[in-house]
Amino acid sequence: MPVKWVLHWQPNAGTSVNSQILTEVSQCAESINGVKGGRWKATLNFYRPMLKDQVNPAEFPRDFLGISLQEQPSKYYFVIRGQRIVLEADSNIQNIMEKLQSYKSRVALNFEGFQYQLGDFQLRVGKVVPLHSESLRGIVMEIDYLPISSWEKSHQIMSEFYDIWQEALQKRSLPGHFARMEPNFGDYGLGDQYTLPHTAVQYASIMLQMIATAQSVRN
Amino acid sequence: MQQPQQQSPPAPATTEAPPKQVALAMDRLNHAGRLIADIRLGADRLLEAMFMAGESQQSNKPFKLIVQEEASMRQYLQDLRAVGKQLEDSGVLNESLRSRSNSWGLHMPLVCPDGAVVAYAWKRQLAGQAGASAVDRTRLALKAFTDQKKRFFPHLDDDNETGSPSKKHCDKQTSTGSEEEEPSELATVSDILLCLEKEVPDVKSFTYPRLKWLKRASLLPISSNEPFMDPSKEHSFHNSNKLGHTTINAEKISVIELLFPSIFRAVISLHPAGSVYPDSVAFFSPDEGGSYLHARGFSVHHVFRHITEHAAIALQYFTGISAETALHSLLLWICSYRTLFTKVCSKCGRLLSMDKQSALMLPPVQRPYRDFPVGKFSSSEQTSATNYHQIIDSIEAYHIGCFPEEI
Repeated sequence: MPVKWVLHWQPNAGTSVNSQILTEVSQCAESINGVKGGRWKATLNFYRPMLKDQVNPAEFPRDFLGISLQEQPSKYYFVIRGQRIVLEADSNIQNIMEKLQSYKSRVALNFEGFQYQLGDFQLRVGKVVPLHSESLRGIVMEIDYLPISSWEKSHQIMSEFYDIWQEALQKRSLPGHFARMEPNFGDYGLGDQYTLPHTAVQYASIMLQMIATAQSVRN
Repeated sequence: MQQPQQQSPPAPATTEAPPKQVALAMDRLNHAGRLIADIRLGADRLLEAMFMAGESQQSNKPFKLIVQEEASMRQYLQDLRAVGKQLEDSGVLNESLRSRSNSWGLHMPLVCPDGAVVAYAWKRQLAGQAGASAVDRTRLALKAFTDQKKRFFPHLDDDNETGSPSKKHCDKQTSTGSEEEEPSELATVSDILLCLEKEVPDVKSFTYPRLKWLKRASLLPISSNEPFMDPSKEHSFHNSNKLGHTTINAEKISVIELLFPSIFRAVISLHPAGSVYPDSVAFFSPDEGGSYLHARGFSVHHVFRHITEHAAIALQYFTGISAETALHSLLLWICSYRTLFTKVCSKCGRLLSMDKQSALMLPPVQRPYRDFPVGKFSSSEQTSATNYHQIIDSIEAYHIGCFPEEI
């Protein structure tokens, strides 16, 4: 499948994210000849263990991420960053977890937005909203380059597109920028060919910053 | 029916359209024919009357007959003269008719081989009338087809004249020092591909008869949906084909596949099958698959569509230079695209650029094909793989808008 870079909005110190920035970002995508397409949506859950007193907390991972992606609605992806584990499960695992009650979802976020087609590039711009809420807590972006599925071979062209994108945004003088993390896929047992677990790992890498941004909005 | 002796003088040939003139002329000729027949009959009757008169001298009958006949004969002859004058005036009958039966640039009237008389021979063929023979129609069709072939495919020489190509291996140990003008003698597809694999080690090349390629194309891409791709599966398929480089019946080879893993896949078709003459080429993503993956197909990705268009021009150029070396040049030129996603444009220095015409962000999809350094590849020195890489990678790359006019 095509390679994807996941970016998140990093507001400048002392500022916060708002829907005006989202509008500007969407307009920027259209200004570089992006053609607006359909909606996209993803869901992210941040799990914490339900620990009983007798149990040794060190045995359980402190937290892990569960994410459902639009490309494959029948699957659910788990990432445990501490141990560099990524796992693909069936989507009904969420029901099982509800029943087992061993882990509970502490933070649930929805990513909702639109897709834009720029030739062989595909952009997704989405707002981060908590479940059952409308308030914007962040902005997330995905960039796909459709012709290539090798992470290594696509790196140069993706970097250049990222630079072009940043340049286009800077003209709008927004209080922040899109940041990204480059996780070491090898640590997670993932190869050079891009797959959905790669996406899950990228989301896990930006998780902490995203939650920090989301909380700063609330405050 | 027309009464030509009562008619006004015929319209001049210039004001009426040729078909009308032809129709008029046909009518008049037919009329003339009937008059001539009448005159013949009249002459017979006169002769008969004179014979009768010679036989019996009593009766007046022959005399009356003769007088009667004479009157009608005169009339017929007059009419014939009138028709003749009309035909002369309209240009059907004239001096030049003796040398060429051609009026208004048309061959008319034409007597077909089966004896029928028509205005235009082609009209019968078009109408598929029973009179036009199948041989005539076939001959016309073949002539039209050959003319078209000569016009649009000038490089396709007579297929029957290639003869059996002599098998010579890639020539690497020829005379020392001298730079050869022509590349080494690579007479068959196997020779060319073996040579190519020495020159460009990271390319994977395969040959197929046409139907086998279609089957493979429909199976591509292998394991695109599995999260962790198994490269060994692809290799085993490739290997079984690779062994077939020389074992596959060389006469059936009509498709060459060049694969640069994770970069692109190029499909080249040969015409006629078994020859070394490339016919068309197309580029695709290595992840694409389906029956549209063939040398005249187009990728779903813009970048490969643009390369395919550019490659068609390069192919025409290489073929125009020399049909024998076109394939080798083309394959090497295709290999220069291994830098597609890494080599910046030689003019603007960037990898991505917004193409104004298509409003798309594209990498440099064009590479020059004139003065392609094929000579460097056939040099007699023991050139290492890294040297070839350098040569291939040194070929410039350009965005569509950056491509220099003079190349």
